[in-house]
Amino acid sequence: MSSLVKQLFQTVTLAAATLLLGTTPARAQSASLGSSTSPLYREVTDETGRSVRIPQPVRRIVSLAPSLTETIYALGLQDRLVGDTEFCDYPPDAQKKTKVGGAINPSLEQIAALHPDLVLVTKGLNRLETVHALDNLGVASYATDPHTVNDIIASSKRLADLFGVPEAGASVAAEMEHQLAALQQRLSSSPVKRALFVVWHQPLISVGKRTFIADALRYAGAVSIVEAEQDWPQVSLEEAARLQPDYLVFAASHSEASPPGLEALATLPGWNIMEAVTNRRYAVISDAVNRPAPRIVSAIEELARQLHPDAFVEKSEKLSEKSAKEKMEKEKTEKDKTEKTPPPPIQQSHSAFSLLSSGLRGSETVPGGRTCAR
Amino acid sequence: MRPLTLRRLLLQCFALLVILFVVVVIAIKFGAVPVSLYALGRDLWNVLLHQRTNISSDYVLIIQNIRLPRILLGIMVGASLSVAGTSFQALLRNPLADPYVLGVSSGAGLGAILALIVEPHLTLSPVFAALLTPLGAFLGAAATVTVVYLLGRREGQIDSTTLLLGGVITASFISAIIMFLMSTLTGNLRGLSFWLMGDLSTPLQKSVYWFLGIGFLVASGAIYTTASDLNLLLAGEKEAMHLGVDVPRVRLVVYIAASLLTGLAVSVSGAVGYVGLIVPHVMRLIFGSDHRTLLPTAAIGGAIAVVFADTLARTVVAPNELAVGAVTAVVGAPLFIYLLRRRLA
Repeated sequence: MSSLVKQLFQTVTLAAATLLLGTTPARAQSASLGSSTSPLYREVTDETGRSVRIPQPVRRIVSLAPSLTETIYALGLQDRLVGDTEFCDYPPDAQKKTKVGGAINPSLEQIAALHPDLVLVTKGLNRLETVHALDNLGVASYATDPHTVNDIIASSKRLADLFGVPEAGASVAAEMEHQLAALQQRLSSSPVKRALFVVWHQPLISVGKRTFIADALRYAGAVSIVEAEQDWPQVSLEEAARLQPDYLVFAASHSEASPPGLEALATLPGWNIMEAVTNRRYAVISDAVNRPAPRIVSAIEELARQLHPDAFVEKSEKLSEKSAKEKMEKEKTEKDKTEKTPPPPIQQSHSAFSLLSSGLRGSETVPGGRTCAR
Repeated sequence: MRPLTLRRLLLQCFALLVILFVVVVIAIKFGAVPVSLYALGRDLWNVLLHQRTNISSDYVLIIQNIRLPRILLGIMVGASLSVAGTSFQALLRNPLADPYVLGVSSGAGLGAILALIVEPHLTLSPVFAALLTPLGAFLGAAATVTVVYLLGRREGQIDSTTLLLGGVITASFISAIIMFLMSTLTGNLRGLSFWLMGDLSTPLQKSVYWFLGIGFLVASGAIYTTASDLNLLLAGEKEAMHLGVDVPRVRLVVYIAASLLTGLAVSVSGAVGYVGLIVPHVMRLIFGSDHRTLLPTAAIGGAIAVVFADTLARTVVAPNELAVGAVTAVVGAPLFIYLLRRRLA
């Protein structure tokens, strides 16, 4: 007990000094970062038009969005990632990183304590206030703002460039582009399906036309029936019934439509007025579609397969062996990545088969064996 | 009412300042990042000796740049809301009046949001642009006070039930407008929903702290000059007038100053509720209802309450953060009900 009192007394005395002196010392921020920064800086304009000064090289990164965490892993830079959010669950290794809170309300002091060279944010998820707060603390932050799938590719390249690994960026981008091109070719003769992307079902919330999700639907041979300017518009059931989508599209883990079960959807009052509901025309894809990161391509493909099964049927018996071969090559590529800068991935000319393997990539190429540096 | 002596007032304030100090110490010590007492002590020692190079960067980053500014903000917001609440309670002769309950915080929030919407369309110097939000919040607060006051008047006297109802209805009406604005406007208004719940997590520009501090001193100073009049007003407006109080003048001064205090607090922290209600009550129970004592003690008490609530908000679900408004509401709302029942009984 007495030790507690003593400790409290000590704290009080110390805090007295803090109060008297703590606020007066002039800004020592740049000095405070001195240990982790080299004198080199690079002035860049981020995707929201802010000009930011980023210490070079970027050795310590904090990511404030699951998509950015995934991009860092895709670029093979996971060892530089020193902190991420509680929602960063992919790849599984990302869960082991130091957590700085959620994307909306991260703990600034936790971020500061990690001494990041750069904090990555994305306009669609993080708050502007967080960016301002980091500015005031003298912590550099870079914001991405992808609105299309092409933006996601460009964004990955820019980040790779920023981190001094342009080759990794080029390779990730080339792979995404290649897979998308192959998919486009495959779907070229398929009619475009009219889809309603369900972000939330009570109330019905969908995506606006200027979101990367709406663009992802386009790549999957679909079009979002919602033409809203807002990013996450609430759609009335009447409107949905008037537009009559061919398919309802759900993202697996984020859409809470799954717990009551998709079957239960038809029993929700009012939902029966959509033919897609009465006919159970649902497409359920990975929640990678919600994240503007390289993995979105696999979600796009997943969706394309469900919306246009006819485009994928032929030669299905050969797929398994081809894909196994592909997989081996992929693993080889991944191995190379860990040792040196990655060469552009070897792609088969048979676009159809490389597509399938890309579907597997999601789970196969996660460098789960590699533990993070911390 | 016991006669007021300067000595007693100073003693009371000193006692409260000691409590505030202890709370601040706790707030410095605890947070998402653990800081050991030893490290804190060593860094403070180096600060004392002006040995800059020996100060650990964690001290500078976390204590000096994040926790202290936030504590300072909590002190100013708490003191402002508490003084505003005390003066509303006196002026409206209603112990349940509070910037939040009366809808004044919501009005300030609406004003601040309108200012944020208008700002990009105006060409302003940066200094004035930074003041636009507090100005909008002040105007919103002042307009709401006027409306609620008019709603609460019946036959020339303030009817407390009507007043409270008027406040609640006004608040919900304003919330509806805010909802409407937020669902129709695109752009970066998403952060606002967090701010509206009351949030101290964003460090501000240095100039804003000065602006807040000076605003607080001027406005609460103005209110303090009417402290004796407020005491007489407790007996009723007519009675006070007979005793020589210039009621319209006092009303004007207090309304403007209290709106300013609410506007300032809301523009930096959103709607932190119930502080202006609970703190004056507690202080009245302890120190009596003489406004010459009540105003300064309530100011310090408000600071204690908000800094403490914010420390909870920062640590309970760390590294996530709660909105400080959620913490004050969880404590404040049941107390409000209790006070309401006791008054009706």
